[in-house]
Amino acid sequence: MINRTLPPKSSGTVSFEIPQAKIITLSNGIEVYFVKKDKLPIVYTYTLSFSGSKFDPADKKGLSFLTSLLIDEGAGEFDALQLNNELEKLGIIFGIDVDHDVFSFSILSLKEHYHRAIELLSKIIFEPRFEQKDFEREKKKVLDKITQLKDEPGYIASSAFYKRIFLNAEYSSPEIGYEEMVQNFSNDDVKFFYSKLFQESLSKIIVVGNIEETELTDLYEKYFSKWNGKNAGLNQTIQINRDRTKFYYVHKKEAAQSEIRIGHISKGRNADDFYASRIMNTILGGQFSSRINLNLREKKGFTYGAGSSFNYFQQCGFFEVSTAVNIKNTGEAISEILKELDGIKKNISQEEIDFAKSYLIKQFPSRFETYVQTAKNFVPLIIHLLPVDYYNSYTDKLKNVTNEEVLNAAKENIFTDQLAVVIVGDKKEILPQLKTISDDVIELDIYGHRI
Amino acid sequence: MNKNLLKIDYEKFQLSNGLDVILYQDLSLPTISINIWYKVGSANEKPGKTGFAHLFEHMMFQGSQNIPKEGHFKYIQEAGGSLNGSTSIDRTNYYETVPSNYLELILWLESDRMGFLLPSLTQEKLDNQKEVVMNERRQRYDNQPYGLAWEKIFSNLFTSDHPYSWPTIGWMDDIANFELDDVKNFFSTYYSPGNATLVLGGNFKKDNAKQLIEKYFGTIKNGSQIPQLYIPEQNLNETKKIIHPDNVQLQRIYLAWHSEKMFGVNDAALDILSDILAATKNSRLQKKLLFDNQIAQDVSAFQYSAKLHGLFIIVSTAKPGMQVEELKKNIFYEIDNLIKNGITDEELLRSKNSIKSSYIYSLQKIDNIVDHINHYNFYLNEPDSFIFDIERYEKVTAEDVMEAAKNYLTNHYVELQIIPKN
Repeated sequence: MINRTLPPKSSGTVSFEIPQAKIITLSNGIEVYFVKKDKLPIVYTYTLSFSGSKFDPADKKGLSFLTSLLIDEGAGEFDALQLNNELEKLGIIFGIDVDHDVFSFSILSLKEHYHRAIELLSKIIFEPRFEQKDFEREKKKVLDKITQLKDEPGYIASSAFYKRIFLNAEYSSPEIGYEEMVQNFSNDDVKFFYSKLFQESLSKIIVVGNIEETELTDLYEKYFSKWNGKNAGLNQTIQINRDRTKFYYVHKKEAAQSEIRIGHISKGRNADDFYASRIMNTILGGQFSSRINLNLREKKGFTYGAGSSFNYFQQCGFFEVSTAVNIKNTGEAISEILKELDGIKKNISQEEIDFAKSYLIKQFPSRFETYVQTAKNFVPLIIHLLPVDYYNSYTDKLKNVTNEEVLNAAKENIFTDQLAVVIVGDKKEILPQLKTISDDVIELDIYGHRI
Repeated sequence: MNKNLLKIDYEKFQLSNGLDVILYQDLSLPTISINIWYKVGSANEKPGKTGFAHLFEHMMFQGSQNIPKEGHFKYIQEAGGSLNGSTSIDRTNYYETVPSNYLELILWLESDRMGFLLPSLTQEKLDNQKEVVMNERRQRYDNQPYGLAWEKIFSNLFTSDHPYSWPTIGWMDDIANFELDDVKNFFSTYYSPGNATLVLGGNFKKDNAKQLIEKYFGTIKNGSQIPQLYIPEQNLNETKKIIHPDNVQLQRIYLAWHSEKMFGVNDAALDILSDILAATKNSRLQKKLLFDNQIAQDVSAFQYSAKLHGLFIIVSTAKPGMQVEELKKNIFYEIDNLIKNGITDEELLRSKNSIKSSYIYSLQKIDNIVDHINHYNFYLNEPDSFIFDIERYEKVTAEDVMEAAKNYLTNHYVELQIIPKN
């Protein structure tokens, strides 16, 4: 008979070599982060430029997003459909994305089609057509997408929450923009964004794949030497202003659940206590076995899942607790979350810290499993100006955090009296519950503006 | 492209209690991945008691005789691993990927819940997870725009006594009424070694892995015979039209036909047909509805195939002010056009190339590979079927695609319109 009562021990140790990126500097100064990975005949490329949606003019929120939809609608000798056909017929997975900080292009390609993929990418980046008929169609698509988002309670909760914590600073507006602004965009606005903001911004390239360094260098020299942008984005930290704790709700008639977001603006990525905060948040709400999830899901059954995170934009960070709960437990769920935020500032056990460190350290190799994952690990290093060999000391830095530093990370980064609490749900159901927590409950529209 | 990449070198054997085991070694990885398929899905449930298979995706993480509640997550996470499970109409899977020195830990965890779950399955745990599942249902379906579409399509395309007619998560009333005894019986019936296949992939020593699998799973008793499914013949004798008012801004139309089951004769041709109709900007329907006429916000098409049946589905959301009837007219125009005039070589090549590339891309993750091995073993009884699978797409001709469209898309169908309430 075997003894099943105790967990088997691990057998020996696993060695793992962290993939090293080499920076290749092109003749025009553009840096290419290159990791050679040759198990499969695949090359993945991520190209970013510091021209995300925070660079949208104040009265033209959504301009970078619309530009991102239009930039691949025809380029060089190809019209919109021809250009996409060139990529589609080679089985290339091509994507364009805009977030607050950066505008980016990703390409997953078989090695045999990689040269063609980069040639086409260079056409998209340097020779977009921006034709009027494409502009009209894509602008209408954005407006209709904004209409559709009014149906998404999770989206409404997040965008109202960002509006409350960032107020009028960068990062307060949704990347997609506002209906009344997008309506007034002209094709010249898009061309302006492209020539003044996109083209003049600094670009960085990450390549992970089955390709030789010389081949890669020649390829990028050939197609990317035209890029001379130097603007590396706004690096100054946003002034952190936190209001006293306030309760907000957005009315969604007949909602089947309540979406909840709780949090505030917080320190940036390069703060001294980043690792301590990471460990602390792992315990608080960063994974399944965290305090918040075990309480709200496994103990109370209020939700399918609940979690917390520290998120880092280029110029500041924010802390957020996020969940969707049963309507009748909305008030109680909020009270439990607030209790957990208080609790973590008072006491964190040795066992919890050991667990969190083990989890973060041992899962580290799995973050380099795919070509895409490996490449994406270098994005935060670029955005936050961290060194290319940063990950070599990553697990040591986690190990070296003391218990006291973990507890201090809670005390110094979670402000229970300066929270924005945002709920999206049916006001008939949730208002009576919110009133038992606070007598000052403020109604917002779906954009997070006070009504 | 070198097809040897897709050759899976495996070893398959069976323990005396009926558990099938497949080993797939890759010594270049720092990890191992275990993936167990139980041959039980929502199709094995009964009307009035739907949602059991999915419920176990929750109960299997609630601890077993030697593992405390939440222990499964805790042990795997502490080891730096990842874990989950999923439920379809045909099967349920459970999987973990961990650093390769934790082989014995994952075997201990998986074997304990296969062999010794019931002693620890209490009313309290069931009540808690019933609430969680009801909240999952609300979050994923009831509180999502258009979230109820799938269950409306399946329950109209299949007769109510057919095992594919209810949603995998279950009807809300059934979930609310789960009884402990029923839940336990369901487990005893379906979660036995003889009804499961264990795939282990990644970095391990074969002899050691065999010994340990025998040690942890060999002593689990096999269950009794699995009940046969009752499968009533399905023929849609008329086209059904359902109009469902919901809290949405834009009208959406779903068209669903009975098609071909998984790996059936026309299954691959129908996949390619769905690509040609709607997968890319140059596809027929995207070009017509989104680009030329600009009457739709989106359109998609896919062949959903399972063990007993398949469905071919086209979905499109109308632009504001546009009626879905107009979308429908255009969709059928394009289907007729394709049946009459065929497809181009370029369309066929585009679809085949994208299918081929996506197979290579999928080999990046060991948990994908072991799940695929189980998939092939379950549906084809041959784990090493990557090449067979790609080749069935390569063989598809333009005529096959036309024939598939003609054979299925000219039949009766279910039409679902989801329209704004006000």
